[in-house]
Amino acid sequence: MTSSGMLRLEELTRVHTAGQPPALDGFTLDVPAGSCVAVLGPSGSGKSTVLRLTAGLDAPTRGSVHLDGRDLTGVPPERRGMAMVFQRPLLFPHLSVRDNVAFADRVRGVPRRTARERAEEYLGLVALGGYGDRPARSLSGGQEQRVALARALAAEPRVLLLDEPFSALDTALRAEMHDLLTDLRVRLDPTVLLVTHDPAEADALADTVAVLDGGRLQQTGLLRELYTAPASLAVSRLLGGRTEVAGTVRDGVHSSPLGDLPLPGWVPDGPGVLVVRPEAVRVTAPGDPAADVTGTVVRVRRRGLRALVVVEVPGPGGVPVEAELGAGEELPAGRPVGLVLPVAARAVVPPATTSAPTGARPGTSRASVGGGPGRRRP
Amino acid sequence: MGLTARVARAALAAWLLLPLVPLVLWAAADRWTAPAVLPQAWGTAGLRDAVDAGAGPASLRSTVLGLVVAVLATPLGAMAGRALATYRVPVGGAVLAALLSPLVLPPFAVALGLDVLLLRLRVPEPVGVFLLLTVAALPYTTVLMRAAYAAHDTGFEEEARTLGATARQAVFHVQLPLLAPALAGAAFLAFLVGWSDYVVTLLVGGGQLVTLPLLVASAASTVGNEAQVAVLSLSSVLPPLVLLVAVGLVGQRGRA
Repeated sequence: MTSSGMLRLEELTRVHTAGQPPALDGFTLDVPAGSCVAVLGPSGSGKSTVLRLTAGLDAPTRGSVHLDGRDLTGVPPERRGMAMVFQRPLLFPHLSVRDNVAFADRVRGVPRRTARERAEEYLGLVALGGYGDRPARSLSGGQEQRVALARALAAEPRVLLLDEPFSALDTALRAEMHDLLTDLRVRLDPTVLLVTHDPAEADALADTVAVLDGGRLQQTGLLRELYTAPASLAVSRLLGGRTEVAGTVRDGVHSSPLGDLPLPGWVPDGPGVLVVRPEAVRVTAPGDPAADVTGTVVRVRRRGLRALVVVEVPGPGGVPVEAELGAGEELPAGRPVGLVLPVAARAVVPPATTSAPTGARPGTSRASVGGGPGRRRP
Repeated sequence: MGLTARVARAALAAWLLLPLVPLVLWAAADRWTAPAVLPQAWGTAGLRDAVDAGAGPASLRSTVLGLVVAVLATPLGAMAGRALATYRVPVGGAVLAALLSPLVLPPFAVALGLDVLLLRLRVPEPVGVFLLLTVAALPYTTVLMRAAYAAHDTGFEEEARTLGATARQAVFHVQLPLLAPALAGAAFLAFLVGWSDYVVTLLVGGGQLVTLPLLVASAASTVGNEAQVAVLSLSSVLPPLVLLVAVGLVGQRGRA
């Protein structure tokens, strides 16, 4: 990687069919040189559109892509200095592994010999030295994706675009690829724009995360911040948050069937939904004076070593609060418990707008999209 | 391979090859009269007669005709197939029906009608044959290439573009190599249309373009020279067979 570029996406909008909601709506994002930014979103959120527009494979309806301050509007994909790795490896089946990696050099007119020598170096970088002579189709899924990565890196892109490149791999291989990419980042310092639906992958690879939902940017920041202070219900849900308690905020206190709970930071007065991550909730005895609320375990969900319990707190219709138990802890359904909701773990997001003008289905989680991204933070 | 599959393959091979056995026997028979199971006298009289009748130049003409038709109809079919598979062609069904119409209409009627037109336009006879046979080959190449493009993953070309290939390079370095087996198949079919045509060559060519099928037909219309007919027929069958094996090998390499 000769020089990593600074990427800026400005107000990117893509309308596929006139009259339909845009696939991407006013998306702005900075990817500093040498950093890795993950665009995190569920399928259909427009995250692949972000990469296609950045790579020049598709043209935005509005907005622009800038690389090191240069506007790339109208620049064809091959002259953008970017290389993309897709979820499918897309190795050229008529070429050997080595010639796949040498492809970028060859189409730029580098002599075959030199291109092949450099290809060997990049194959070495992804720990596939000696695989050059094999036909591309003889590799396993993990090896294919390594070659795809080597091929993209051999193009010496100023920005490396990764479109869910490890999603099709099994857990162990994925972890291996994460280590490999982390290692490559240390050695080559590329600028990486990664798209994924998996918060764990974003956490493993990216410096910062941009959450996309319904074509709109919901929130950017460190994943840690997003976990503790999601800006919207969509972000909270995407990151695995399940507890959502509607109520009202007044003078920094959230009032709901759970009672009056002081919040850690300033939140404007008005209706708000309290979200608390299950890992932060501590389960104690029902009589524990430290408990913020008491309720009954109604469901236990096994999740590896740790179980997730749903505790129903009395209220209109019953208010479910989810809590993760300690490793090896067990609680049967029907057991009354007390719950500690640490102040720092309490976050309030704007309520879902159920009567969005765009005709969002009332009462569904997606309805919050119509109301725009919340900027309210505890 | 299971036993059933083996038997089926053997039966298929027999079905295709058995009709050639009498041909081969006749080609090498100087005398073979009714009750005898095998020829009474072996020899090369049939071969000599065939060469005397002009089998050499006729094969050459047939080869050129097949190649010209393949060279014209394959890229045209590829372009039409690509358009039909990738873009929203207005009334695509009607376009496809028009392209397929040479298969539906009786070739004799079409050739006769167009012969008059070509004569009035003063198109030289061989050029008329090339043109008409290219049109006759288009349905095969178009349908085959349409299926190939429909199954083709454009992701490969997009990947090539992000790696620095121009649109043209993406076509020549990625798209065409990936479609090589289909292109070879389409070219083979188009070659066959030119190689084996009788009606158009006879009517439009006006007897100027004596190809192998014309020679076979004229030899077969008289009696007493079965050996010569057999040699001519074999020389019409063998080149496509060799080509088929070659195309099959290309296809195999593409799938390997």
